[in-house]
Amino acid sequence: MEYLQILFAPIFGGLIYGVERVVRARMQNRIGPPILQPFYDMYKLFGKEPFMVNNYHIVFALMHLLTLWIAVGLIILGENFLYVIFIHLLSSIFLVLAGYSVNSTYSHIGSNRELLSIVAYEPILILVAVGFYILNSSFDIDIIRAHSSQISLLFLLFLAFLLVIPIKLKKSPFDAAEAHQEIVGGIEVEFSGVFFEIVYMAKWIEYIFIYSILLLFAGDSFLYGSLLFFGVFLIVNLVDNSTARIKIENLLQITLTLGLLLGIVNLVFIGIGV
Amino acid sequence: MSEYVLMLIFLPLIFAVTVLFNSLRIRNIATYLFVSFLVIISLKLFFTTEIIELNFNHLVHLVFLVLDFILLGYFVYQGVKYKDKLISLFAIVQIALFIVFLQFSSTILSNDIVVDRISRVMLLVINIIGGVIILYSLKYIQSEEFKACKKNLFISILFFFIGVMNLIVTTNNIEIFFLAFEFTTLCSYILIRFRNDELSIQNARKALWMNQIGGIAILLSLLSGIYYYDTIYFDTLIQNINGLFLLPISLLVLAAFVKGASIPFDKWLLGAMVAPTPVSAILHSATMVKIAPYLILKIAPAFSPTISLAVMIFGTFVFMTASLLALGKDFFKEILGLSTIALLALMMSIAALGTPEAINICLILIVFHAISKALLFLQAGVLEKVYHLKYLQDIDYLVSRSKLIVFFIVIGFASLTLPPFGAFIGKFASIELIASLINTNIFYILPLVFILIGSVFLTLLYFKVLTKLIAQDNKVYEKISIDLTYIVTSFILVGLLCFGIYVSYLYNFMTHLEILLATVLILTTFVMLFFVNFKNIKKVSAYNCGEKDTIKLSAYYFEVSDKYKELIFYISLFLIGLIVYMGMI
Amino acid sequence: MFEKYRKKSPWILHYNAGSCNGCDIEILACLSPKYDLERFGVINTGNPKQSDVFLVTGPVTYRSRERLVELYNQMPNPKVVVAVGSCTCTGGVFRGMYNVDDGIDRYIPVDVYIPGCAASPELIMDGVVKGLEILETKQKAGDDK
Repeated sequence: MEYLQILFAPIFGGLIYGVERVVRARMQNRIGPPILQPFYDMYKLFGKEPFMVNNYHIVFALMHLLTLWIAVGLIILGENFLYVIFIHLLSSIFLVLAGYSVNSTYSHIGSNRELLSIVAYEPILILVAVGFYILNSSFDIDIIRAHSSQISLLFLLFLAFLLVIPIKLKKSPFDAAEAHQEIVGGIEVEFSGVFFEIVYMAKWIEYIFIYSILLLFAGDSFLYGSLLFFGVFLIVNLVDNSTARIKIENLLQITLTLGLLLGIVNLVFIGIGV
Repeated sequence: MSEYVLMLIFLPLIFAVTVLFNSLRIRNIATYLFVSFLVIISLKLFFTTEIIELNFNHLVHLVFLVLDFILLGYFVYQGVKYKDKLISLFAIVQIALFIVFLQFSSTILSNDIVVDRISRVMLLVINIIGGVIILYSLKYIQSEEFKACKKNLFISILFFFIGVMNLIVTTNNIEIFFLAFEFTTLCSYILIRFRNDELSIQNARKALWMNQIGGIAILLSLLSGIYYYDTIYFDTLIQNINGLFLLPISLLVLAAFVKGASIPFDKWLLGAMVAPTPVSAILHSATMVKIAPYLILKIAPAFSPTISLAVMIFGTFVFMTASLLALGKDFFKEILGLSTIALLALMMSIAALGTPEAINICLILIVFHAISKALLFLQAGVLEKVYHLKYLQDIDYLVSRSKLIVFFIVIGFASLTLPPFGAFIGKFASIELIASLINTNIFYILPLVFILIGSVFLTLLYFKVLTKLIAQDNKVYEKISIDLTYIVTSFILVGLLCFGIYVSYLYNFMTHLEILLATVLILTTFVMLFFVNFKNIKKVSAYNCGEKDTIKLSAYYFEVSDKYKELIFYISLFLIGLIVYMGMI
Repeated sequence: MFEKYRKKSPWILHYNAGSCNGCDIEILACLSPKYDLERFGVINTGNPKQSDVFLVTGPVTYRSRERLVELYNQMPNPKVVVAVGSCTCTGGVFRGMYNVDDGIDRYIPVDVYIPGCAASPELIMDGVVKGLEILETKQKAGDDK
C-alpha cells in the first residue's frame, strides 16, 4: 500500500500543483487553467525535440529527481526524520551542481542563490526535527505519527516552519532562487524538452515533501491533518499573491534570525517542561 | 606486543637518519619499504585488544631531559637570531618553569606508556595517512628547487615527525608529553620555513611563539599537578581528580586549543599554508593538529559538568565562526585550513562530553576528517605543481583540463558533508547525541544551534568553491599528464574512504538501509557522470538572451567586516579565559 | 502520439524586435484578468529552450536581427512563429525606412500574421489559437531554415 503511494507521489504532487494554479487564478479574479494542466505540460514536453548543453547537468538533474523521490519515499515509510532531511540536502546539492556545470551566468546565479536558501532553511528544519525528538524521544517518523497532535507544544516551531515553506516551494516573498523575471528561472535555464520535465516533476515531488512534513504536526488525527493542509495551502497562496520578492540577503537575514529565535524559544520551553 | 609500540616510536628515527644520506633511487625504494613496514605494524597493533603498559628506564629519562634543554635553548637562539622578543621570552619562561619542575619529585607513579583503544586508532591514522603523504611528497619535493641533500632532509624530517607523533599518542607521562609537544613545534617551525623566503620565515616565527604558549600551559599544568595531586601521569591524575582543584585540567585544555588553532590562535595555521603542500597536509590537517582532540579525549573523564559545557560552547562557537571566516577567503589552502580549524573545534567539543558514544563519534570524525583533508590537500599540491594555480579566482574551467582532479576535489568536499561518508556520520551522530542531552540540561541548545549553523556554512563554503571547477568550456586545452605517484596516492585515499563506508556498514554507525541508499545514489551519480554519453541529442550553447559573448565566471565571497572579526576575537579570548579561570576556583 | 497535447499547453516566448512597445503592452494585457490567456495553459516563459510559440513584435532593427535568429535557433522543434502587429508583418508605418527591415519574414519563417496597430488582445488570442492548430501538424525533428 505504501509502495503504491510512493510510486504515485509525483501524480499527487502534480494534482496539488494544478489545483494551486487554479486557486491563484481565482484569487486574481481570473479563470485559470484546467486542473490537469501540469500533465498536459508533461505530455507536451515529451513531444519536443531535446537539447542539451553538456552531459553533466542532465545526470545531476536526474539524480536530483531520484533522490527527492527517495526522500519522499522514506517519509511515507516512516524512517528517521533527521536522515530524511539530510537526503533532501543531498538532492538540493545535486540541483546546485547541475546549475554549476553549465557555463551560463543565469545558471550560476541561480545556484548561488539556491545555496544561500539552503543556508536559510536547513537549520530550521533540523530544529523542527529536534523539537519532535524531545517530545517523542525518537527521530522515527512512524513514532511521531503515532502520537496525537503535538502542534500546541510546538507552535513556535510550526511558525518557523511556515517561514520555510515559501522558500522551498519557490513562492513570494522568498522565491529569489528561481526569480523568473530576474534570472529566467535560475537553474532551470538550460533544460529543455524531456530534461525540463525532470526538473518540473521534481517541483511536484517537492510539494509532497513539504506537505508531508507539515502533516507530521498533526500527529495521527486525519481531521487535523486535512485542516492544517487546507489552511496552510490557502495562506501560502494568499501570501504569494500579495507580496513582492525580497532580495536574497534579506531572505537570509529574516529567515535565520526569526526562525532560529522562534525555534530556540520553543526548544527552551519544551526542554524545561519535559 | 610491547615491542611493536617501541618499534613504532623509535624506528622512524632510524629511518630518518637512513633516508638522509642516500641517493635518489635508494631513498625512494627505502621510503616505500619503511612506510609499508610502519603501516603493517600499526595494523597489527590495532587488532590486539589488551592495554599495553611500558616504562622507560632511568637512562632514557635522562636523555629526554637533556633533549628538553637543548630544544628550549635552540628556541632561545632562534629568538635572538631573528630579534624576536616573544620567542626568546617564552622559551626562557619555559626553561625557568622546567628547572622549577625538576626540583620536585612526585610520589604517585604510573607507567610511561599506556596504549588503549584511543591511542590505537590515532596510531593507525598517523602511520597510514602520514605514510601516504610521505609517498606523495617523494614526487612533490623532486619538483622543487632545492639541493639534493635538502630534499633528503625534508623526507627525513617527515619520518622523524611520525616517530614523535607515535610517542605523543602513546605516552602517559605528562613530562614526556611536553617534550614531544615541543618537538612537534620544532618540526612545524623547520618545515614551515623550508622554502627560506621572507614570508615563510615570518610565518614560521609566528607559529613558533603561538605554539610555545601551549608549551607553557603544559608546564604550568605539570607544576599544578604536582602541587595538588602529587603526580605527573595522566591516568593517576584523572583517577584522583577532585572537583575543586581542576587547574591542571583546564591548563591542558588551553594547550589543546592552542595546538588545534582555535580562534584566538588561528593565525599560525593560516600562515603555515605558505609551506610546501605535504607539510600542510601532514602537519596541519591530518596528524599534528589532531593532538588537540586527542588530548581532550584523554582528559575528558576528569571534566566537571561546567567545564564540559564551557568547552562544548566554546568549541561549537569556533566551529561556527571559523566556517564564517572561511567564506571570504580566496587562497585555496586557506579555505581548507579554516575548515580544518572548524572541524577540529567540533571534535574537541564532542570529546568534552566524555560518554562512550561521544568518544566513538569523536574517533570516527578524527579518522575520516584526516582522510578527506589529506585528499584535498594533495589535490591542492597537484594544482600548485602541475597547473600553477593557487588562488581560486585563477582556477577556471578545471574540468576541461583535468577531469580526474575535479573528481578528487568533489569527492573530498562531498565526503565532509554528504551521506554516506564518515565525516557526515560523525556530524549526524553528534546532532542526535546533543539532542538527547537537551532534556538533562537546557544549555545544550546553544551548542546545537552553533553546530547547525556551522555545518550549513561549511556546506555553502565547499560547494561555492565548486563554482569555478565544474563548468565546461569550449576551448581545447593541451593535455598535461599528471604524475603517477600523485594519482595513485589520491586513489589510495579514495579507497580508504570507500573502505570506511564498508566499515560503517559493518559496525552499524547508521542503519543498513540508510548507508546503502546513500551509497547507491552516490555510486550511480559517478558511474553516470563518467560513462554515460547521451548520443543523438543536439548540443546547444547556454542561454544568454541571444547574445554571443563569452562569459567569465566568478565565485561569491562573503567577507566578514573588521568590526565583527574583532568581536569574534574578543569573545573567543573571553571564553578561553573563562575556562582557565573555572579551573582555578 | 503526443501531438494533441501540444495544443493544450503552449508556452510563449515574447521578443521585442524594435517595436514601439504598443503591441507588447497588448500582449501583456492578454495575460491580465480581463482577457486571461492562462486558461489555455499559456505561460510566458522567458526562455527559448522551453517555449513553443515565438511571439515577435516590431520591425527588425539593425541591432535586433542577430538576436532574433539566435533565439529562433535556440527554440526546440516543433515551434510556431507568430508575428504580432503590422510592423512585424510588413513594416507598418515604418515601411521603407533606413533603419528597419520590413518585417521578420526575411529572417525566420512565420506561421501566423496578426495585423493591427496595435493589435487588439482579442485578435492576438485568435492568432495564437490559429497558431496552435498549425503547431499540431508540425514535425518533431522538424525543418530549420
